[in-house]
Amino acid sequence: MRDDLLAARGVTFRYGEREVLAGVDLRVGEGEVAILLGPNGAGKSTLLKIFSGLHRPHAGEVTVLGRSPSSYGRREMARILSVAGQDPPLDFPMSVEEYVLLGRFPHHGFFGQATAQDREEVARALAMTSLEGLKTRGLGEISAGERQRAALARAIAQGAKVMLLDEPTAFLDIYHRVAFYEIVTRLSESRGVTALIASHDLSLCAEYGEKIVLLAGGKIRAVGRPGEVLTPGNIFEAFGVAAVCDRNPVTGSVRVTPVRRDRGKDRGGDAREGSGPTTPF
Amino acid sequence: MKRPVLAFPVLAAALAGAVALSLSAGPVPVSLGQVLRALTGGDAGGPSGETAARVVLSLRLPRALLGALVGGALSSSGVAFQALLRNPLADPYILGVSGGAAVGAMTARLLLRGDSFLPLPLCAFLGAAIAASAVFLLARRRSGVSRERLILMGVIVGAFLNALIMMMVALSPPGRIPGAIYWLMGDLSLGTPGRVGMLALYVGGGVGCLFLLSRGMDLLLLGDEAAFQSGLPVEKVKTAVYLTASLLAGSVVAISGLIGFVGLIVPHGARSIVGSGHRRLLPAAFLLGGTFLIVADVLARTAGPSGELPVGAVTALSGAPFFLYLLRRDRGKP
Repeated sequence: MRDDLLAARGVTFRYGEREVLAGVDLRVGEGEVAILLGPNGAGKSTLLKIFSGLHRPHAGEVTVLGRSPSSYGRREMARILSVAGQDPPLDFPMSVEEYVLLGRFPHHGFFGQATAQDREEVARALAMTSLEGLKTRGLGEISAGERQRAALARAIAQGAKVMLLDEPTAFLDIYHRVAFYEIVTRLSESRGVTALIASHDLSLCAEYGEKIVLLAGGKIRAVGRPGEVLTPGNIFEAFGVAAVCDRNPVTGSVRVTPVRRDRGKDRGGDAREGSGPTTPF
Repeated sequence: MKRPVLAFPVLAAALAGAVALSLSAGPVPVSLGQVLRALTGGDAGGPSGETAARVVLSLRLPRALLGALVGGALSSSGVAFQALLRNPLADPYILGVSGGAAVGAMTARLLLRGDSFLPLPLCAFLGAAIAASAVFLLARRRSGVSRERLILMGVIVGAFLNALIMMMVALSPPGRIPGAIYWLMGDLSLGTPGRVGMLALYVGGGVGCLFLLSRGMDLLLLGDEAAFQSGLPVEKVKTAVYLTASLLAGSVVAISGLIGFVGLIVPHGARSIVGSGHRRLLPAAFLLGGTFLIVADVLARTAGPSGELPVGAVTALSGAPFFLYLLRRDRGKP
């Protein structure tokens, strides 16, 4: 078990003049489910793109399994690391199954036919994401949430050890959000998959994430177990929102509830519960 | 989405039917029986039969084969540009690529006197490739390429190229002007067996290359970032697709001029039959494109009261409304 399957050291990245990441250090260990939280524009997607080799950092370095992403061949890299984030294409007719099968490209390449194993992996990914019943439907004929599950299925079918997931639950209802985190947990437990997930589900992340990474203003503000990171002080610092961080009475995980600005003052004591510094109003 | 097993036999039969129609239709009526005897070298049965055999073998057969090659190549080129640009409205004619090829071919004709047929397709390819990259670079913004902007740039570059073409026509030796104009309107009558054979080499090579790239084109539909993250060497595949699609469009324009909208209509038809997977789409579009252009050519030859219409006029008459339909249907999509 290595503790630096994904590693970033002093990563800095700019879009033109705008600095998005300013010296980010991060390590994600093998089989770990790490969740990247932070406000819009904090650089979560950019960090994922740097790990996948799409962008190169302006300073610092990232490694995947100890090597720089650019040192891998394209297909070699895709067998190690898969990404789900962008919406499936809608301009051309394509069935859910055909779309998920594209995830097998790193295994069969340009000229190989889809093998029985490819079909099996696709069937398994469709089953995991409860899309079997929709597999012959066109991507344009299903809902945004179903398309998001199809994107996850494609990343699963890719069969990589590392999965980068960029806001994979944005269009999902609560049932499928829970299902998503259960799928990732299952992949981590049964196949040793390492996942780095950019998300906005604070409480669900606390329930399922082993490591929470709070990114804001281009820097990592806090890293650690959910209870250590999800404190009123950290949440206010990163998001500018007052929140109550208490415990889920059933599971004991941290539960984050934002406090309405106009009511927080009267009952400010609530927002100060939990660990961490006092929330400033 | 159904993927009918019989799609390919039916498409191949349709192409064969279109060829048979093309061999028998025209000012000199030839029955299907006479066509069959001429093709198999059987007894022609008298002087009228011999004339019919000559018409079929030396005039109509090269023309039908040229139609099949040109229609197939334009459709394949359209499929490739659509995948490359992720834009179902892309087509070599609309993108100004065919115009670039025409300028290239005309430049070669003006500069290289005599029967300089061999370098023509290469010059046309060069013109096509330059026009395609100009359109793409002009349409590109940091946020990507919007489909409307791409088409707008295609129209602008196309207008500029048209001006160049008109200047070149005006500067041509007077005896060549009518031929040049007819060629520009799209003309399949220049199909001598030698030219058809040479075009077959270009088209066979180009379509073969695209077929080898078909998995790559499947992934390009996901968008550049997702294709890259799925293991595709995106820039290499895009360069190869762009060069091959330009070569196909260029070599076809060099011989049969500007025939528009085939590369737009046919890929849509083929997709509705076999889906978007390029391993099936490319052969289906090739067969359907050949059929479509041969039928359009038969219409062009027989519909005019006195003589022939240019086949490019027939394809544009059906293609322009189809383009409008696609544009309206897709309104509201990003």
